[in-house]
Amino acid sequence: MLRTAALLLLIATTAQAQEFSFDASQFEKKPFEFGGYIELKQQRLELNRDAALYQLGFYRQPHSRLDQTTLTLKPEGKLRSGAFTLSARAHAEGNWETRQFDREFRFDELYGSYKPDPGFTLDAGKIPLKWGKGYAWNPVGFVERQKDPNDPDLARQGFTILAADWIRNFDGDLRTVALTPVLLPVTGSVNADFGSSGHLNAAAKLYLLYKDTDIDFMFLSNGNRSRRYGVDFSRNIGSNLEIHGEWARIEDTRRQVVDAAGTATTLAQNAVSSYLLGLRYLTERDTTWILEYYRNGSGYREEEMQDFFRYVDTAYAQFLNTGNDNALRRASNLSRSGVARPNPGRNYVYLRASQKEPFDILYFTPALTLIANADDRSFSVAPEILYTGITNLELKIRAFFLSGNTLSEFGERPNRRRIELQARLYF
Amino acid sequence: MKPKILLLALALVAVLPAWAADGNDILKKVDRNLEPESYEMYRKLINIEPDGRKKEFVLYSVKKGRDKVVALFLDPPSDKGRATLRLAENMWLYIPSVGKPVRITSLQSVVGGVFNNADILRVDYAVEYNAEGVEEQKDAYILSLKARNNEVAYDRLKMWVDRKLLLPVKIEAYAASGLLIKTLHFKDIRDFGGGIRRPATVETDSPLYKGHKSVMLYSQLKKRELPDEVFSLNYLPRIEDLRK
Repeated sequence: MLRTAALLLLIATTAQAQEFSFDASQFEKKPFEFGGYIELKQQRLELNRDAALYQLGFYRQPHSRLDQTTLTLKPEGKLRSGAFTLSARAHAEGNWETRQFDREFRFDELYGSYKPDPGFTLDAGKIPLKWGKGYAWNPVGFVERQKDPNDPDLARQGFTILAADWIRNFDGDLRTVALTPVLLPVTGSVNADFGSSGHLNAAAKLYLLYKDTDIDFMFLSNGNRSRRYGVDFSRNIGSNLEIHGEWARIEDTRRQVVDAAGTATTLAQNAVSSYLLGLRYLTERDTTWILEYYRNGSGYREEEMQDFFRYVDTAYAQFLNTGNDNALRRASNLSRSGVARPNPGRNYVYLRASQKEPFDILYFTPALTLIANADDRSFSVAPEILYTGITNLELKIRAFFLSGNTLSEFGERPNRRRIELQARLYF
Repeated sequence: MKPKILLLALALVAVLPAWAADGNDILKKVDRNLEPESYEMYRKLINIEPDGRKKEFVLYSVKKGRDKVVALFLDPPSDKGRATLRLAENMWLYIPSVGKPVRITSLQSVVGGVFNNADILRVDYAVEYNAEGVEEQKDAYILSLKARNNEVAYDRLKMWVDRKLLLPVKIEAYAASGLLIKTLHFKDIRDFGGGIRRPATVETDSPLYKGHKSVMLYSQLKKRELPDEVFSLNYLPRIEDLRK
């Protein structure tokens, strides 16, 4: 009996020891690495048939709802040899929507790096630079594709650039200085969406860690885009509060406004300022609050957006009465660089509350996100639930409810509600 | 009579700082016995749920001096490439898809479970805490530690230190309200080579996560000197380059 008990104890002890064994040699660095994820997303959009942007997009094929299935593959890899590294991340997407099927393949990043020592790096190729401290918006993101505030953490496609990075650390109040100069050429086939070909754009970022505060100064030369300067900061106030801000000055801005009769006028200004102020706060109950206010200096005033929506209404009525869609097609073209682009307005508020593991359910994070146009008080509110309890699998369910009066930004968006289910498997 | 009381009071005043210094000396020795001041190491974090389900993370970490630490996630693939940096009370998290480091706070947890960022990016105890009292027991010192400022994750620690080995056996972490946040249990003393002999396992439980347990396992802990530039925001995406 005693022997059996001793044997059981030995087995239990051995099992416990094995359960907690760890040998790091199986995680040795390899010259070639490959990974990434595959994602399946199913969306249903309830359309707002009275909205101006619905009328622009659906006047030929009216729908009350859309179903969309998106399969995305994002493989990534690294190849290392001495001080050289080649990095790649591709994006392959198939998109089945009620009206059509689309597919896309691109490299989000594909670049080579030369890193002779930790204080210096030279990168060349397609690199997604991310500047600024804002969570939902980055007015100082001068050399990057625009962020979607509904998915701020989503990987974005880079521009093809030549960039260097110098880092120096010190003792004292100024602990780090880092300089990142960037050259961004635009030709017919390279960075074509940055502007017209024939320009070599120069940009730079200077980072300082001074008195426990991150500070960046940014600059973009006059080239495809007008000259712009920026500064941002971020610092922790206590063990649970972070504050941040960005300010950008953009010279020679031009903004096309359309009145209710459809007359387009280009308004030129010597310079405009955009800025952002935000905080991130963690409560004792593990709720994370993110609050940001964004002032978009080159955005549309409330009455300018209303005028455009009135023009669309008139154009749509004309189409219904005569079948002539010339005005609607013109409005559609104008909207792409105007009110249909992300964050077309002037003042925005972003609020996100996420609760880590409520009721002791590990890896379960419900969240609620509000994005509001502070001028016309229209908004989008999005509850979501994220579950990461299964290794390498992320499951997310999210809904969007858009609300706003007639002639308001979110009130004139094509969809009224959206629900999405997303499963992402990492490999 | 009065001069005697005065003398006694003076003697007490003279003795008190000696007590405090003694506690801080023990704490500094504990720090050095746990790790060299500058090192690299691998750790596995295991979160165990009440039903026995586990989630594991593998991290590569380097530390320099008193307050510079960086950790890189090597596994699982969903977290691979994430890196966290700590410079004194400043902490940042780099997520490859986000593409830039964001500031985080010491009380958050990048891995979920009972370990928070302060546990994962721990700097020397003596940097963050002042020993306010030492209680001597037969086999252990019990150090009462108070956070040096309000940016430290736990307001107070109660640390049981093995008298002979000068290594922690158990640490209780308290909030400013006096609430017990978690208890760390140091186990499985092992020789890592290079004169480093320390617990290879740290188990954590918390009354805030009833039934949950988190375990941290140490491997390949060794002394390593690195340039300061490694501990900067711009270097975070390249931490993998440090691994040999």
